[in-house]
Amino acid sequence: MTEPLKLGIIGAGRMGITHYSIANAHENAKVTSVADPSKLITTMLGKYAKVSTYKDYKGLLKNEELDGVLICTPPAFNPEILEAVYERRLPAFCEKPYVLNAADGAAFAAKYDAAGIINQVGYVNRWNDMFTKAKAFVDQGLLGQTLRFRSEMFSPTITRDIGDAGWRASHANGGGAVFEMASHAIDLIAYFFGSPTRVGGTSLSQVYSKQVEDIVSTSLFYDGGANSGLSGTMYVNWSDASFRKPTNKFEVFGSQGKLLVDQHGMKVHLAQPSPEYGLKEGWNQLYITDVHSSVPFYVRGIEYTAQLYDFVAAIKEGKPVRCTFADAAANLRVIEQIFADDAALRRVGAAA
Amino acid sequence: MTAPDKQRYEQPIDRIIFGDNQFFGINHMSQDKAQERAERFAKLDNVMAVYDHAIDAGIDAIMLNSNDRAAGICDAFRANPAKYGHLKWYPSIPYPHKYAAMVNDKGMVGAVQEILFSKGAKSALGKMVRGASAVATLDAVKLMKMLIDEEMAIYDGLDVRCVFLQNIITDLMLGYDVPDPFIAYCEYIRERFGAWPGLITQNLPFLHAKLEEWGIEGVVICASVNKIGYLMSPGVAEYEADLAANDGAKYPVMAMSTLASGAVPPVEAYDYINRLNIQSVVFGASSPGNIKQTVSLIEPARAEAAE
Repeated sequence: MTEPLKLGIIGAGRMGITHYSIANAHENAKVTSVADPSKLITTMLGKYAKVSTYKDYKGLLKNEELDGVLICTPPAFNPEILEAVYERRLPAFCEKPYVLNAADGAAFAAKYDAAGIINQVGYVNRWNDMFTKAKAFVDQGLLGQTLRFRSEMFSPTITRDIGDAGWRASHANGGGAVFEMASHAIDLIAYFFGSPTRVGGTSLSQVYSKQVEDIVSTSLFYDGGANSGLSGTMYVNWSDASFRKPTNKFEVFGSQGKLLVDQHGMKVHLAQPSPEYGLKEGWNQLYITDVHSSVPFYVRGIEYTAQLYDFVAAIKEGKPVRCTFADAAANLRVIEQIFADDAALRRVGAAA
Repeated sequence: MTAPDKQRYEQPIDRIIFGDNQFFGINHMSQDKAQERAERFAKLDNVMAVYDHAIDAGIDAIMLNSNDRAAGICDAFRANPAKYGHLKWYPSIPYPHKYAAMVNDKGMVGAVQEILFSKGAKSALGKMVRGASAVATLDAVKLMKMLIDEEMAIYDGLDVRCVFLQNIITDLMLGYDVPDPFIAYCEYIRERFGAWPGLITQNLPFLHAKLEEWGIEGVVICASVNKIGYLMSPGVAEYEADLAANDGAKYPVMAMSTLASGAVPPVEAYDYINRLNIQSVVFGASSPGNIKQTVSLIEPARAEAAE
């Protein structure tokens, strides 16, 4: 038997402690060190989990023998962390949205790729069984030529005024519905169709936040390539208390049918039956129980385990990565287009 | 309420437990259905009417999560001891969304501080963490006991037979591979409530193996069990092998998600469950017909007695 991989966690917030549990339960991996500024967190982990702890990534990268790192810090901190991890040539799993501008994102993607360093970003919907099934249907031409899509996301994240404290309150720190929530809705679009060319008609609204948006909507267009002529809309609201959990809804309309999918189920309407997929003409309903896969260890959902097991498989066996730094950088380009479009439309509005 | 003759954890757990998923908008299958239910059960009377149907069907044991509705429900049960005093309780703690919302608002550290200081600096928690260096010397076990007491306060005066830890906590801790919190939890539940400690998990074979490795016995394990393997990691075959070899006196198993969110028809589902070495079943349903049918499928004799 080979030695388990030694992994370091940088940032032990909600995602960091989740990834810790999942990665540590992998039969070929062990979490051996954690960096976090909270003395409470590092004291507890040092005392009970008996891992090496550090107040920041510098000590961890300097002192630890590692086979990979999980970067789960607020994204404003990530450029310097990614630079230091690159210096050590360590495989990196980074939480979304990865960094805060497309130029940084593309630069790190290029550096890591050129050096052959495994890089992955935690856009976890790419591992959800329902979304992967829907993508397979679309890729295999079940809907004919795809013409339109709609990507929506709802969550009860900000349902009252929480003031300006905390990193969520400003864009500079990666806060706001665009960076935190819409990035998922944008990534689902990119997962299905690649990145759009341009956006238009953007609207950002505030419900409770003072410096960042709580609601975002925009239209997205594909001007060339395999999906030329495709377009769609996105609507994301993180102040919607009618949803108890973050929920993505994705709709694709094609010349031969349409599908509506979320994390738990899918409705498919077809012009022609598809015996190959066991689908009839008209409406078909698929539940998560029809398509669910199994993972060796479950904490927050099958997809959370599946993405980290892929990261371990990429390191150990050279398996391909489903969501790379380059993929996340492309999403950041769309995010910048959304902010630029909003700013331009506001200028027009102010001049009128 | 009279004290039981012996510690309640020395008595076997109930075969049929009535759960609470049907009330609180949790439906893994359909969000529309979840919404309908949320509307209907926003009224306490509608919730209590369903409990009455369950009691009519012969059920006398209830699992209830310590969510924001649970206090009102417990009050209603306590208010009528003649009707409800015989019921046995299987609470599950904590209410994960409460803590998730706190983390959303304040971040991880802020959430911990909010929990610690929520009762004021003069409370037991407040005293424990007062002073700049307190966090570094924080006694995690003591803290856990205080949090358990806080979550359990709403069940005061009810006949508590088992206290379950929610799967999000159990499974998160399981990945850390540290026995201390499991040992401390189980000891405290026995000592403080005289009840069985219970662990809800989506990883039954893994948890079971770890409990044996750590020498922790006398724990109820509550896990999804259904023939399609839904929410069963790593899979059906491993569950079946583990259950077959399990000593149900040391580790009574309570099956949940037996219908796999409706994917398995009840007759098939309980035919499968009844063939396995499973001590108990928790299920949720809201119509009198479905409740009666489920009881009769799990324990025909009880259904007949209730007629």
